[in-house]
Amino acid sequence: MSWEAYDPSLAAHDLVQDLKWDPALRALFKQNEAAVLDRYPTMLPAERRAIEQRDFRALYDLGMHPYLGGQLSRFIWGNDAGGGAIEASNRLVASLTGSTASIPEKP
Amino acid sequence: MAEIVFAAGIPHAPAVVGLFDKAPDEARAVVAATFGAVGRALRAARPDVVLVFANDHLTNSRITAYPDFIIGHAAAHAGPHEWFKEWIGCRDWALPGDPEVARTLFKGLTKRGFRMNAEAGPLKFDDNLSVPTVMTELDSTTIRVVPILQNCTVPPFPDGARCYALGQAVARCIAEDMPAGLRVALIGSGGLSHEPGGARYYKIDEEFDQLFLKLASEPDHAAFMREITIPRMEQAGLGGTAEVLSWFIVMGAIGQRRGESFGYTGWPSFRCGIGGVVWDMAKEAA
Repeated sequence: MSWEAYDPSLAAHDLVQDLKWDPALRALFKQNEAAVLDRYPTMLPAERRAIEQRDFRALYDLGMHPYLGGQLSRFIWGNDAGGGAIEASNRLVASLTGSTASIPEKP
Repeated sequence: MAEIVFAAGIPHAPAVVGLFDKAPDEARAVVAATFGAVGRALRAARPDVVLVFANDHLTNSRITAYPDFIIGHAAAHAGPHEWFKEWIGCRDWALPGDPEVARTLFKGLTKRGFRMNAEAGPLKFDDNLSVPTVMTELDSTTIRVVPILQNCTVPPFPDGARCYALGQAVARCIAEDMPAGLRVALIGSGGLSHEPGGARYYKIDEEFDQLFLKLASEPDHAAFMREITIPRMEQAGLGGTAEVLSWFIVMGAIGQRRGESFGYTGWPSFRCGIGGVVWDMAKEAA
């Protein structure tokens, strides 16, 4: 990876920060993701599509910062150390690489 | 003049807490030896205050207005911030702050040409301060803490030379601006190789990590600066490995000294190379 595609203007960065700082928004994201995404009028159609399709490769190619991309994966798949966060990082890596080859079997 | 009595560099990977019980024996041994040694040496040095330099991880500011350095001025600090509790899997902690030292640092570094930011209210802390605190049981001491959160991940960020020069200014600020008798500890919290959220999330660059630990432990900072470049850090893991810049600040502050490290593990599920260094502050710098 490199910073070549990185675009700090992407609205998805604000989405992650807002989810991180606002538990109520996080709950709404779980219940009605579209309603939360609607709050970001500058979000590019391709950016929104990538989030909806869980296509992190496409999102990163549009310019998503990987640290915030990793956090987005935890809002979607889980955040607890021994369970959801492992699921999230596994799915994130599979989306980014198109492969599960680098994912450890345990824990 | 105040005195630097302790200096260390340690990683803060959340999985050393959350996945400790699932790790193989050899990985657990390195984690226990490293944080145990740092905690013991810190207590033995009897500091009044510890300055902790650590990656902010985009926890306190938006990416569109991102500060390079924030000095926490609060009278008390607490964590982890709500969303990070289950991710790290650690207990809550609280530490006394030191508004006076924070203010002296802010004024002194500004005067010496470094753009710092001051936060009077509570900062949000993730693994950056939570992992060192719980793993060394810093919160069982009365040592006051001044956190200096750093941009290591939003490009462009201050490079090795700038961070080293900042460390030299920190040393001058401690020696010239802080009161005589004040005992100051320095901790760089970050690294080693990792690529959080990236395609190489599970890749650890052991070759980089071993070289980094070796060079950081030797009193030849020209060699360290020559080898440990931003491109080499990014090659070892984009957006995460550059957290070792926090160690550059500490090394700039203490000058060329020998350090001791306590083993290394690159267990993939930690998603980060793990090793630390405590520098010898008893002898004069080379």
